[in-house]
Amino acid sequence: MQWQFSNDAPIYTQLIQQVKVGIVTGAFPPGERLPSVRDMATEAGVNPNTMQRALAELERDGLVYSQRTAGRFVTEDNTMINTAKRSLAERHVKTFLEAMLRLGFRKDEIIDLISKELGEEEADHASA
Amino acid sequence: MPVLECKGLTKRFGRTAALDEVSLTVEPGRIVGLLGPNGSGKTTLIKLANGLLTPDGGYIAVCGTAPGRESHSLVSYLPERTAIPTWMTARQLLDFYGDFYQDFRREAAEEMLDHLGIQPRQAVKQMSKGTREKVQLIMVMSRAAKLYLLDEPIGGVDPATRDYILSTIIGNYNPDAAVVISTHLIADVEKVLDEVIFISQGRVALQSTVDGIREEKGMSVDALFREVFKC
Amino acid sequence: MLRKLLKHEFRATGRIMLPMYLILLVTAVGSNLAGRGMLDGRYHILNILGVLIVTAFGIAICGALLMSFVLMIQRFYKNLLQDEGYLMFTLPASVHQHIWSKLIVSSVWFIVTVLAIIAASLVVAYQGGFLRELLDFLRYFLEGLRKLEVSEAFNGTIYLAEFAVLMFLSLVAFSLQFYAALAAGHSQANHKLLWSVVWFFGIQFALQFAGSLLIIGSNELDVFNRLFSHWDPSPTVAIHVGLLMAIGCVIIYGAIFYAITTFFLKKHLNLE
Repeated sequence: MQWQFSNDAPIYTQLIQQVKVGIVTGAFPPGERLPSVRDMATEAGVNPNTMQRALAELERDGLVYSQRTAGRFVTEDNTMINTAKRSLAERHVKTFLEAMLRLGFRKDEIIDLISKELGEEEADHASA
Repeated sequence: MPVLECKGLTKRFGRTAALDEVSLTVEPGRIVGLLGPNGSGKTTLIKLANGLLTPDGGYIAVCGTAPGRESHSLVSYLPERTAIPTWMTARQLLDFYGDFYQDFRREAAEEMLDHLGIQPRQAVKQMSKGTREKVQLIMVMSRAAKLYLLDEPIGGVDPATRDYILSTIIGNYNPDAAVVISTHLIADVEKVLDEVIFISQGRVALQSTVDGIREEKGMSVDALFREVFKC
Repeated sequence: MLRKLLKHEFRATGRIMLPMYLILLVTAVGSNLAGRGMLDGRYHILNILGVLIVTAFGIAICGALLMSFVLMIQRFYKNLLQDEGYLMFTLPASVHQHIWSKLIVSSVWFIVTVLAIIAASLVVAYQGGFLRELLDFLRYFLEGLRKLEVSEAFNGTIYLAEFAVLMFLSLVAFSLQFYAALAAGHSQANHKLLWSVVWFFGIQFALQFAGSLLIIGSNELDVFNRLFSHWDPSPTVAIHVGLLMAIGCVIIYGAIFYAITTFFLKKHLNLE
């Protein structure tokens, strides 16, 4: 699990993002027990209170749940995970589109570029 | 009860006020950054909290008591200098801390020393500067104190050591205790801090949470610091 | 807490003093052997070796005495006034405990050094019948003690006790005058050692001056005559009084140095 932080956004929101990514990519598999707040904070190099805040909010969103003495677990609800995956993707797409429109590309040009890039990637994968 | 509290704290050296009417509180369970340029009064504040200096005005208390012999049992202090006697071996150092501090967790310290590959018979003078700093940090963090005062814990060490030091601080987190880190290297410690106190020319310029600053000002604490203390 | 400070102070100083005593012992044994044959004159090399060993013994004696003195000063300065002070003064111990731990340990080493020198000298002088002579001497001495009157024995013991106390307190006061100068000098921002020297001679001068004033004053006011004119003590009592007065003076000197030391360490500690 690679933890990356930028300077402008609050740390706890970035932590929420990154734990979501971890859940979506399977770094934190569904139903798995999460490490303790302290361990996660140490791994991420952040303040334990901030990590706790992030996890509490993820709990509120339903992506993780806690069992009194057993600790925190990733939800097994795959629909929820997929929704999170989709919303993460939508955010990336939004940012991408904003940047492309700023550069002056039209919608069909954008789709062209994407198809081309995907095509090249497929070719790379096929030959590799 | 706040772990550290100052009200109108003043300390003068000659005619200059190293600290001028400083008021602040540090609550338990927080990791607080005391941030300011060199000569801003950070070290003076820490020395006052340790009872190494006496105030000229105002009030400072550690867990409700004035700094002195009793508060020394509650405070674990990491000075900027290497204060551990260099002739001691690692084992003798453990004996020393264990003898004087009831809250010293010897097994935890031994484990950390072992993890760094430090032999019990190794003398401090045979260790490199970075190792010495780590050893001193291990001793300080192995105490179950109420207030940890770390004066420039990461200045002058390599990045790997810096990571180790910050990991140790996070891993040692205790909701009943507070950690005060005094530093001028903000970018490296920002993520570890709950709150920051900006101090300049003996006065508190700002006290806020890290995420609070990021949300309100849209910049990191490091960036804000550079702006506030622009030369 | 004082006991723990003493334990660690002995650890810190023992590692320096004990090797000195070892050297003393080795050179003493060497000198004893040198005396047995090396200095006879037949072999030039043995002659030189013998002289060297005996000289080494002499140097070892000076070294042990000097080291006790230097160590006393160095421990106070290095452990309390330099970087280690950050560790020491944040321990849950009072300034008084710190000072006494240093005083007790350095006084003990002074005494042990003297005893070691005496023991080493006995080693040098040791010859075939030495043990027998020593035992004879001890037996003679003990018989002499047995022949003493009860009052003589009683007084003798008290004299010894008073003398021991006087010796110990003198060592303490001796060390304290240096501690006071170091603590005072160190409170300055710059030229700390220079200021310590200034304080040292300043205190000495002030005390000499005050002492002379006291003597002259008591002469002028005829204090001693008036106090003691009606008093005709026996020699025994006079010695006791003398010793007790000496102890009193040493305590006053020591107390002044002690007060200066605590004042600067408590209020003007200037660790850099």
